[in-house]
Amino acid sequence: MDRETVLVELKKVMAPYTENKEMLEGINDDTDLIKDLKINSANLVDIIIDAESKYNIEIDFESAAEMYKVGNCIDVIMKKANQSA
Amino acid sequence: MKSAGNDIVALSRVNKHRTGQFNFYSKILSIPEQELYPNQQFSKLSFVNYVWLLWSVKESSYKYLKRLIPELKFTPTKFVIQQIENSTELFNEVENSLWQTPKTSEAFYCGKVLHESHSFYFRSKISDEWIATVVNDTLDFENVWWGIQAIDETNHYHQSKAAKVLLMNKLNSLFTDNLEIGKNSVGYPVILTNSRDLDIPVSLSHDDRFVAYSFILNPLNNN
Repeated sequence: MDRETVLVELKKVMAPYTENKEMLEGINDDTDLIKDLKINSANLVDIIIDAESKYNIEIDFESAAEMYKVGNCIDVIMKKANQSA
Repeated sequence: MKSAGNDIVALSRVNKHRTGQFNFYSKILSIPEQELYPNQQFSKLSFVNYVWLLWSVKESSYKYLKRLIPELKFTPTKFVIQQIENSTELFNEVENSLWQTPKTSEAFYCGKVLHESHSFYFRSKISDEWIATVVNDTLDFENVWWGIQAIDETNHYHQSKAAKVLLMNKLNSLFTDNLEIGKNSVGYPVILTNSRDLDIPVSLSHDDRFVAYSFILNPLNNN
């Protein structure tokens, strides 16, 4: 699993929670989920749950707090997926 | 340094099924908060509303504290509700028409929340359509102003604009000077007059069809 693959899947996970579809297509590591994609903070929990389900991983509270930028999300997902592999 | 924090949750957007799942609510509620729910005082509060009531308290507290600690990250379970009780005490300022709903459908809660060495007090109101919270660092809410309004358009741009208009309409009714809203270097809203920061902590929130504000102002000190 490489970062690009996770990024593509992450776009699908985030799609229901952002109205800014154009920006979603062009996201990169520095894209901020709340400031740039205008994702409601409560939906960050949904994204974490969806990512857990998609990758069959468990994201703890400390890791979840890091998931405010796309790059951080990919880091956490890859780290947790590698731990459970 | 004073700050402000508020939050509003539109209940129409809440996924009730997901909220009731352990892997979801355990990311919001600490274990003592999960164990607190069966308490008799919440007999009229559904578990779904309990989860989102506590979310709104934690989010409001985070917004209050983030202004003081810009590097703070939001970990809901680290904001721990210490006390929560039904309240009959009204907020000092609510200007939405929904406030006039029959008393039987209103629920008020107040209490205390801790985050490491910081403690906050909150007041929340639950209607059929939303849960709203304001926080302060003292038990006294005399200087905490807040308002809620229903809006028609729910895109982010309109929500953000409507929340600012609601806030500024209220502030302009209290001041003779012409006020403007701006942003400080960290990105927080600030209230300006002739480019001078009036040092009035404000907090804005929106969710779906509802926008809300809170601000701290001693009624005796405005001009």
